[in-house]
Amino acid sequence: MTTPLAKRVEPSWLREFSGPLTAELVQQPGEFGLGRLPSRLKPDATAELVCGFCSTGCGLTAHLRNGQAINLSPSTAYPVNLGMACPKGWEALTPLAAPDRATTPLLRNHSGLDPIDWDHALQVFTLRFKALLDQHGPESIAFLSSGQICTEEMAFLGALFKFGMGGLHGDSNTRQCMATSHVAYKQSFGFDAPPYTYADFEESDVMVFVGSNLCVAHPIMWQRVLRNPHNPEIIVIDPRKTETASAATQHLPIQPKSDLVLLYGAARELIARNKVDSQFISASTAGFEGFATFVRQFSPELVCAVTGLKAEAYTRFVDSIACGKRVSFWWTMGVNQGHESTRTAQAIVNLALLTGNIGRRGTGANSITGQCNAMGSRLFANATGLFAGRDFLNPSHRAEIAHILGIPEARIPQRNSLAYDQIIERARDGRIKGLWIIGTNPSHSWIGQDALNDTLRKLEFLVVQDAYTTTETARHAHMLLPAAAWGEKEGTFINSERRIGLAKKISRAPGAALADFHIFRLIAHYWGCGNLFQAWTSPQAVFQILKHLSANTPCDFTGIDDYRHLDSAGGIQWPWPLGAAESHDVTKAPNRERRLFENGRFFHADGKARFIFDQPRELPEKPDAEFPFALLTGRGTTAQWHTLTRTNKSEILRQLSPAELQVEVHPHDAKALGVRSGSRVSIASRRATIEAAVLVTATVQEGQVYLPMHDPATNKLTFPAFDPHSRQPSYKFCAVRLAPLSRKRK
Amino acid sequence: MGELRTLLDQAIADQGQLTAVAAFAQAHDLGAIKTQHYRDLIPLSLPKHGQQFAFEVDLDRCSGCKACVAACHSLNGLDEHESWREVGTLISNDWRRPFRQTVTTACHHCVDPGCLNGCPVLAYEKDPVTGIVRHLDDQCIGCQYCVMMCPYEVPKYSEARGIVRKCDMCSQRLVAGEAPACVQACPTAAIRISIVESKSLVVDFREAVTQNSFLPSSPDPAITVPTTRFVSREPLPADLAPSDASTVREQPAHWPLVWMLVLTQLGVGASAAALFSSSRGALMIVASAATVLGLVASVAHLGQPLKAWRSFLGLRRSWLSREIVAFGIFAALVSLATWRVWIHSASSATTLLLSVTTAVGVVAVLCSAFVYRATRRVFWRGAFITFFLTAALLGTAAWTTIAPTAFLLSLLAILAASKLAVEMKTLRHGDDEVVDDVSPRPGEFDRWSLAQTAGLLRGRFALLMRCRLACLITGGLALPLISLINFSPIFAISSFALCFAGEIIERYLFFRAVVPPRMPGGS
Repeated sequence: MTTPLAKRVEPSWLREFSGPLTAELVQQPGEFGLGRLPSRLKPDATAELVCGFCSTGCGLTAHLRNGQAINLSPSTAYPVNLGMACPKGWEALTPLAAPDRATTPLLRNHSGLDPIDWDHALQVFTLRFKALLDQHGPESIAFLSSGQICTEEMAFLGALFKFGMGGLHGDSNTRQCMATSHVAYKQSFGFDAPPYTYADFEESDVMVFVGSNLCVAHPIMWQRVLRNPHNPEIIVIDPRKTETASAATQHLPIQPKSDLVLLYGAARELIARNKVDSQFISASTAGFEGFATFVRQFSPELVCAVTGLKAEAYTRFVDSIACGKRVSFWWTMGVNQGHESTRTAQAIVNLALLTGNIGRRGTGANSITGQCNAMGSRLFANATGLFAGRDFLNPSHRAEIAHILGIPEARIPQRNSLAYDQIIERARDGRIKGLWIIGTNPSHSWIGQDALNDTLRKLEFLVVQDAYTTTETARHAHMLLPAAAWGEKEGTFINSERRIGLAKKISRAPGAALADFHIFRLIAHYWGCGNLFQAWTSPQAVFQILKHLSANTPCDFTGIDDYRHLDSAGGIQWPWPLGAAESHDVTKAPNRERRLFENGRFFHADGKARFIFDQPRELPEKPDAEFPFALLTGRGTTAQWHTLTRTNKSEILRQLSPAELQVEVHPHDAKALGVRSGSRVSIASRRATIEAAVLVTATVQEGQVYLPMHDPATNKLTFPAFDPHSRQPSYKFCAVRLAPLSRKRK
Repeated sequence: MGELRTLLDQAIADQGQLTAVAAFAQAHDLGAIKTQHYRDLIPLSLPKHGQQFAFEVDLDRCSGCKACVAACHSLNGLDEHESWREVGTLISNDWRRPFRQTVTTACHHCVDPGCLNGCPVLAYEKDPVTGIVRHLDDQCIGCQYCVMMCPYEVPKYSEARGIVRKCDMCSQRLVAGEAPACVQACPTAAIRISIVESKSLVVDFREAVTQNSFLPSSPDPAITVPTTRFVSREPLPADLAPSDASTVREQPAHWPLVWMLVLTQLGVGASAAALFSSSRGALMIVASAATVLGLVASVAHLGQPLKAWRSFLGLRRSWLSREIVAFGIFAALVSLATWRVWIHSASSATTLLLSVTTAVGVVAVLCSAFVYRATRRVFWRGAFITFFLTAALLGTAAWTTIAPTAFLLSLLAILAASKLAVEMKTLRHGDDEVVDDVSPRPGEFDRWSLAQTAGLLRGRFALLMRCRLACLITGGLALPLISLINFSPIFAISSFALCFAGEIIERYLFFRAVVPPRMPGGS
């Protein structure tokens, strides 16, 4: 296809085939492997960096001119995304130029927020927090951080707050998405270690997705699923017929929060049919007998009654697992955000263990992470756990850290931090008086939002460190510190498959905005604890410190030289210990995509994985006569990210999601309520009442309604229940009632 | 303190440095574009005679990720809000078969493109080899008629540029052996370029009598014969509705066109009146002034008025081109006739000139009506009756004001009553169950569309509609009937003013309350 298009015959004065307007779109080879691009967007250099939205961790190629990014496209050579990106990735540069970027520190006075300079801001920061500490002790201040900042930054924050400033309580918004997987893995495997690599999507013959709408939440992982050449059985367990369920070969539309019973039941059937891997169980696991006895109570009759599944569908599901040669299990927020989420995640792990579907190609009990650096936070935030999977309560761990960091051991707290919900609880009852919120927007995202906002209003000193001045949380701030955003700083993210990827500086931060790294470093010096952080001079330097912290742990990546090494290898998965590079080339298969537990050894001292289980618990809030509907929440579209702080800044992304909040209602329920698509309804829970437009669809079940989590109103309704082990909020279920509002014609 | 200041300055200086290139200069393989990925997604050869290139969308592979939209925007360097690809969602209300499908659409590069047929200046061309429908950005005059002519809302108008732009299937990339942006960007390879037989599409869409085989809940493919193929293993359920069906997409008012239509129709009406009246001078002043003002208004509608002189180029196909030429001739004739009337009012040559002028005017109004009828928008089928009644009503009102007679007053009342009847009929559409449907049932688009229009006129535009009816009833009925008993010049002037104002409102609603067909939206 190289013949030019048809020739033109008309004279140019009569028909203008070219001219200034046409020229705007004329393309030329973009070079740098980019294909043709509009001439005015031709770059003079390119740089590859990992995306800063979700945990897939795609490689993006920034098109640079004079070092500044002017456009962007997905990287073709990066092993994660193979030249593809979702709309958020494609539009990642747009939010950087938004007019509501924070460009200078702001301090609240009686009338509003006043611009101040950094020196003033840092002095006030130090003065106010020190005053609170002096007056009310180390438990009177806390921080809430984010899975969206670089590993080096979250490590700095954790070290600064706990070792330098003398605080005790700090947590991250990864509590809202990944705490369950963290705890489940830690208890089951002995370390928070998602075992898979994305190539496993392509190698399975059976894939079971539990509470995961991969098509919408992780579209680039779905790409890998569709590349699977083995004609795989794709099983989706989800109350809704989601995009992923529609594309699956089996959809199990279970009743919400009945997954634990289903998974225990499946284990019972597999054991009863002797479809278990006895050799693997005896060599690599502990606690099987107790588990086998425990699951006997979950008869098929019970499972079908609780889940609402037909007996044939249930049998087919069990058959598929039983017959699969390489079965992989995948879960996301549908599991993690539940009232008994840790045990549910472990029920999935148990299925993988008892069938021996772990440590081999195309297998695994695989938690798909949420945020771009949730995995970094889980290992290096130094918030609720000590660095690199260690424990604040363990004296030898504290000694190790003190030694590696060269700080007095006495500086390391001997107690664990409170979890997110407990920090909020303490702030509510007045014990926590000063709060520092970094790169997260709890006024929108926290469960049972109104109560949280009341709490924020009570604080004596609230510092919000963010790239934008307009977040719901920033409205409550006494002080706002302007942060540089993704693309305006350097650092690493760790993705779902444990790949450490590099983020680069490809755009100038607006005004006086500074990278979180700089802010933490400055605070250390203004606070007067700069001497503890002599070596923490740059993200690269901290990366070297993190390597030392990881040494001899399961996440050991001492074999990675530096950022250049990460860059040239296309990211490197942990573990990659010192010496690994001498025997293996990390840029080539099989070392480019590695999975864990291939030797059948887990991270518990005895090398064995644990079967962990519990009796299912009652839902903390169930539909009743007054609030008859179950409200499910989740991701809306691929174009929206969490609280929309960034994605709402792109007009293209805004066009890709509904203009108004839509509540999905089953046709029968719609009829009973007397509403149709487009009708306005009020949705009330015991916490609040909001309004939405109805979308009638049978993809939700009768008695259930669905709301996307991105709307600021959604979390006014949700019920603050928490998993007792992971303290993760149960966003996915609460009771509501719907009522039509007076019919408004448009 | 000095030390802190230095650190602060260092941090600020460091933040300002862009380091990605210096720190990580990479040896880029210049040849490594991802042709590997899309080699199977673009044709290896050019279409043969009777064939053309077309988008093919594999609905089973489409996961709804919408990367195609963002990639089109980014790789083509389009405006902040602009993408030539859009997505929508089709859902089924059948509870026995829960169904949801994302649909991605761009220009369908139709066999018989509405945009091309409507363009007055030949700013579209259908490539004879590839069949790609290209827009010539520098030829465009920004009349936006193609936006009305395309059932799929493909061409998008840019206020800033004063032109429309649209998808050209990334012709420049195809020529170089690269895939279009959307094809390159689809993670699941759901979009490809295929070769289709144009003839068989015409047969499928225009001659076969089956239901919409293009895509459920999409505009009637018989209108333009779109070439995109939506394929899936199993046929889609027929009862699908777009998830945004309940959202009414506001239609623009096109104020210059509102004035242009009413003024030119007044011009033709007054010219016709002059033919039969003895007060020719005054009526021709009205006729020529209204016509000239109308044409000035029409130019104000254009994004590129300086290029409008080429409007004759489209005469062979475009009703808009014909309308422009017809009104151009009418304006010249009406000016000439006015001059002539003031010199030799009663001569037979003047009468002949007036007859010719009026005849051309009638043809021009006919062209106006065809401009809107050609869009196939259901509400606009009434343009013939509406436009001629406006011309007659305003012509008579002008004549009555200048030379009132009992006959003229009665005629005015009859015309006003006729117009009232027509509009009341429009308002009564949808007094059945169809109006309650969020989206049209298969085969019922026309009825549903009229019901939606009636709903808008009774709902969102109720106040304006009441004003419009008040103007017509007072100016066209009440005042003339009172004048029959007790004439007053004030009444006559008020009657004309009210009729004119009423027609302006009516024409505004003509544009605002139309409900065009559209592709499924709603993301």
